[in-house]
Amino acid sequence: MLVTYTRYTYHFVTTTAFLAALLFLCLYLRAARLLISSLGRLLVFLVLSVVLYYVAAGAYLLLVTLCAIYELLFRRQWLLCLVYLLLAGAVPYVEGVLGFGASIVNAFTDLLPLSWKILSFEGRRRLITIIYVLYLFVPVAMLVSGLWRRVQNQRILVRLASRLRKSKLNAVPPVVKWIAESVVLFGAAFAAVLFSYDAGQKTLFAVQYYACRRMWPQVLQAARRHTGSSFVINAVNRALYHTGRLGYDMFSWPQHPDVLLLTGEDRILACWHKFDTQIDLGLVNMAEKNLTECMEVYGAHPMILKRLALINMVKGNYGSARVYLGALRQTLFGADWAEDYLSRLRSDPNLSADDRIQHLRAVRMEKDYATIFFSREKMLCELLEKNSQNRMAFEYLTAWYMLTRQLEELVENIRRVSDFDYPELPGLYEEAVLIYVYGTKKPVYLVGYQATGEARRRIEHFSEVFNKRMRNKAAAFDELAKDYGDSYFFYHIYGFSGVKK
Amino acid sequence: MNQPHKSKRARITCALIVCALITCTMVYTFGQDKMVIDPCRFIDRPAVIHPDYSGTVIPPNIAPLNFLVKESGSHYCVKMYSKRGRAIELLSRSAKTVIPEDRWHELLNANRGEQLNVDVFVKAEDGRWNRFSTITNRIADEDIDGLLVYRKIHPVHSAWGRMGIYQRNLNRFGESLVLDNGYFEGGCLNCHSFCANHPDKILIGIRSSKYGSSALLVDNGTARKIGTKFGYTSWHPSGRVAAYSVNKVTQFFHSARREVRDVMDLDSLLAYYLVDSETVETAPEISKKDRLETYPTWSPDGRYLYFCSAPKWWTGSNIVPAGYDQIRYDLVRISYDLDRNQWGKLETVIAAQDAGLSILLPRISPDGRWLLFCMCNYGCFPVHQQSSDLYMIDLEAARQTGRYEHRRLRINSDQSESWHCWSGNSRWIAFSSKRQSGVFTRIYLSYVEQGGKVYKPVLLPQKDPTYYDSCLWTYSVPELIREPVQVTKEKLGRVVRGSRSVSVGMPVTMATPKPGTQPGRGEPWLGERE
Repeated sequence: MLVTYTRYTYHFVTTTAFLAALLFLCLYLRAARLLISSLGRLLVFLVLSVVLYYVAAGAYLLLVTLCAIYELLFRRQWLLCLVYLLLAGAVPYVEGVLGFGASIVNAFTDLLPLSWKILSFEGRRRLITIIYVLYLFVPVAMLVSGLWRRVQNQRILVRLASRLRKSKLNAVPPVVKWIAESVVLFGAAFAAVLFSYDAGQKTLFAVQYYACRRMWPQVLQAARRHTGSSFVINAVNRALYHTGRLGYDMFSWPQHPDVLLLTGEDRILACWHKFDTQIDLGLVNMAEKNLTECMEVYGAHPMILKRLALINMVKGNYGSARVYLGALRQTLFGADWAEDYLSRLRSDPNLSADDRIQHLRAVRMEKDYATIFFSREKMLCELLEKNSQNRMAFEYLTAWYMLTRQLEELVENIRRVSDFDYPELPGLYEEAVLIYVYGTKKPVYLVGYQATGEARRRIEHFSEVFNKRMRNKAAAFDELAKDYGDSYFFYHIYGFSGVKK
Repeated sequence: MNQPHKSKRARITCALIVCALITCTMVYTFGQDKMVIDPCRFIDRPAVIHPDYSGTVIPPNIAPLNFLVKESGSHYCVKMYSKRGRAIELLSRSAKTVIPEDRWHELLNANRGEQLNVDVFVKAEDGRWNRFSTITNRIADEDIDGLLVYRKIHPVHSAWGRMGIYQRNLNRFGESLVLDNGYFEGGCLNCHSFCANHPDKILIGIRSSKYGSSALLVDNGTARKIGTKFGYTSWHPSGRVAAYSVNKVTQFFHSARREVRDVMDLDSLLAYYLVDSETVETAPEISKKDRLETYPTWSPDGRYLYFCSAPKWWTGSNIVPAGYDQIRYDLVRISYDLDRNQWGKLETVIAAQDAGLSILLPRISPDGRWLLFCMCNYGCFPVHQQSSDLYMIDLEAARQTGRYEHRRLRINSDQSESWHCWSGNSRWIAFSSKRQSGVFTRIYLSYVEQGGKVYKPVLLPQKDPTYYDSCLWTYSVPELIREPVQVTKEKLGRVVRGSRSVSVGMPVTMATPKPGTQPGRGEPWLGERE
C-alpha cells in the first residue's frame, strides 16, 4: 500500500475495499475466538458477508478466501470452509444481482482490481500489479502460515522445533525480539518508500493543484523539481504568462511546440489545468468539449462541474449553467461556489457585474467553423482577430511562432505589440526579431520599440562563438548552453531549451 | 422511607414532561393542516411554478405532476380540484409540492375530459396569505401508453462512459433498467425500437470493443444477437421485417457555436432484416451510391417505407466535406409488398429544396393520419441542431388533395426538438427537447387532438420537482410502449456477451460497406453518436 501511495497512483477505491475486507476479517477472527460452535461462526460470517458486500462489493471475495483458509488450516473445519466458498457465489448473486440489479460480471468484480471499470482505462491500470500483489499478499501469507503450522506439528519437525527452542536464539529477551522485529518492519517500509517514491508524479500533482487554483509563483516553484512532463511545462507557460514573464523566461524551461497549447486531441483527459489554458485564451468551446468528455470518464467531479458551469455562463447558456451549478451544489467542496453563482444569477441574470465572465466573453472566439482537429495557429489568429486586446492569445501566438521557428510570421505578428502596454519589447521577442533581421537583412519596424544594445551584443557574441566552432552545434554546445541556454538564440539553433548551466 | 416516594414523584414528573413535549410536537406538526388561510390577498396572476405545468392537457394516467412554487413565502398551500371527487389540499413550509399518488390518480380518473384547477396560496413575509389566480389544465380522455423507454447518456459520449436504456412507468415514478453498458463491460447501446408500441419485438443496437457490433433482437421473450450493426431501425407492423440504416458517421466540433458538437453521415444506406429467414437484404432504390439514405419508418399499414435521403457529392473519405452545412435531406417514400418482398418506385414526399430545410426523423401515428418529423437548417442529426423543430403533415388530407402540406408545430422552442414518437392510440407524442437548458435533453409529452392540434408539452414528471435542476443525464430516443419490457437485463447482457450470433452479410457493394463486411468498427470517436 505504501508503494501505491508513494507512486501517487489513484487506487483509492480498491485499497479502501481491501482495508474494509481486512477489517471484517479482524471482526470475524475476534468473534471466532469467542465462538466454539461452527454454527455460531457461520452466523457471524453471514452477517459480516451481507454488510461487507454492501460496503465493498467484490472485495467480499477476499474475506471469503481468508475466512475459508482460516477455517481449513487453523480450525480444521473443512465443511465450514466449503460452506464459505459456496457463499462466495451466493452472496454476490443474491445481494448484487438480485438485490442491486447489477450484472453478474459487476456483482463479482466491482471494486476489485480486476474489474473492467478499472482495466478499461489506461490511467487506472498504472501499478495495477502492485494492487494484485496487495490483494494476494494476505491470503498467501495466511496460507503459508497455516501450512507451516501443520508442518510443524509433524513428528520430525516437532523434534527439530524442540531443539530450536533449546538453542541460544530462544534465550533472546522478548523486548529485544520485539524491537528487532519492529526495526525489520519499519526498515522494509522505509525501503519501500525510498525505492518507490515517484518525485515526477508528485510534481505533476503539485503543479496541477497550484495551476487549478491559479497560484502562479507556486506553480513555477513546484515545476522546478521535475520539468520532464509536457503537462508541467504547459502549466509553467500559463504561469509565466500570468506573471508577465512568458516573453522573457519561457526558454528557461524545456520547451516543445506540442506543449504550448494541449488541445485534448490526444484523448488524454487528465491534468485538467490544460483546459483552463483554453478557457483563459477564449477557446471556450474547445474547453467545453474536452471537459464534458472528462465528465464522462471521471464522473461529475466538482472541478469539472465548476469549469463547465463557468463556460456555460460565459456562453450565456444559463439553463445548462444552472444544471451544472445545481449538481455542484450537491458536492462537498464546490457547494459554496455554486451557491454564490446561483444567487448572482438571480440578482444579475446576465452576470454583467462579474469581471472574470465579462473578460472571458470579451476574449472568447466568435467565428464558428467546423473541425475534427483544431489548428493552434488558426485558433490563436482568430482570437486576436476577434479581440486585438487578447494579450494571452498574442503572447501564445508569438510563442507558437518562436517554437515552430516561423520568424516571418512572428515579425508580422510583432506589430500587434503596440496594442498592449509593454514597457519594453520583451527580451525573447527582441531576440527573435534580431535573428530575423540578421538572417534576412530586412529591417523590422517595431512600432515604437527599439532593440536594445545588450540584445545586439548578445546575438553578436552568440554568432561569434558559434562561428568560432565552425558552426558545429555539438562543438559549440557547452559554451552556448552556459550563457545562452535560456535564450531564443539557443532554441533557434538547437530546437530545445532550458539548458542554461 | 422518603426515598422511594421521591423517586416515584421524579418519574411521574419526567413522564409528564415527555407527554407534554410529545403533545406540543404533535400539535405543531399536525395542527398545520388546520391553518386558516383567510383572509388573503388576491394576486391577479398565476403563481410561478416549476416545472411549468399550466395551460396544458395532461394524460389521465400520468404520475403526479409535482412542482416547486417559485414565489417567496414562509408557508405554501396548494389546492387541486376538478368537477368530481375530493380536492387535494397540501400545506407545507416547503415550496415543493409533492402530491400523494393515490389521491392524484383518484382525482384524474374521476375527471377525464374535465379541467384540473390548481390554487396556490403563499404566506408572505407580512404574515398574510397571497392567493394567486387559478392554474388550469385539462385532463385528457385518452390514456398515454403506460411505459416510456429512453436512453440516458452524458452530454458527450465519445469515451463510452456509463449509459443505459431505461423504462419508466408513467403512472408512477418507478424507473427500471432495460440494459446498460455495464452488462458488456463498457460500450455503446442505442436506437432501441419496438414493433407497434409493444415490447414483444425489440431491436437494440450494440457497439462494444470487446464483443463487437451487433443488434439485439428480442422476439417474444427470446433474445438473439444479430451479427451486424443496425442504425436507425423501424419494425414493419407485421413484425416480420425490420428496416434499418447503415451509417458511416463522423463527429466534429464547432469552434464558437452554442452547440459544440455536430455529426454527419459520410455515407449511408438502408437495408432490411427478414426475421423468418434471418437474412439481410437491400434494394437499389434504398441504397443508391450517390444518395445518403437514413431514418426509415413504416406506414402503419406496412405498404410504404418512408425515409430521408440527401445527395452525396463527395467521394468516400473520413474528412468532413466542404459544404457540409448545405446537406439537406428530402423526405421520400417507397412502396413495399411484404408477401412478394418487392419494392416499388420512389416518391418524394417533401423536397428539401422546397422546404429550405433538412427533413429528418419521420414518424407516422399508428392511426396513419399524421406524419411527424423534424426540420433543421442542415444535416442529419437534429439533436445537435438548435434550429431543429417539429412539423406535421396530415396524410389523410394529402391522400385527398395529392399535396403534402406541412406545418410547424406551436410546441417548438428556440432550442432543438427531436427524437419524437407516438403513443399506440395516436393521441400522445413524446419527444426530446433542449428547451430547458440548451445542453441537456429532457422528455416532454404532448397531447394531439383528433383534428391535429398539438398542446403545450408536459415535462416528464419526477418525484422531486427539482430533479432536473441538477440532472447531468440527457434523455434521448423516448419510445412509448404499452407493456413493460419483460426480458431481463441479465439475459440481454448474456446474449451480448455470448459468442452465438445470427450471421448476416451485407448483400450490396457500395461506398460504405463492402459485401459481407460489418461496417462501423474501429474508433468509437468516428463511429458513434447520440
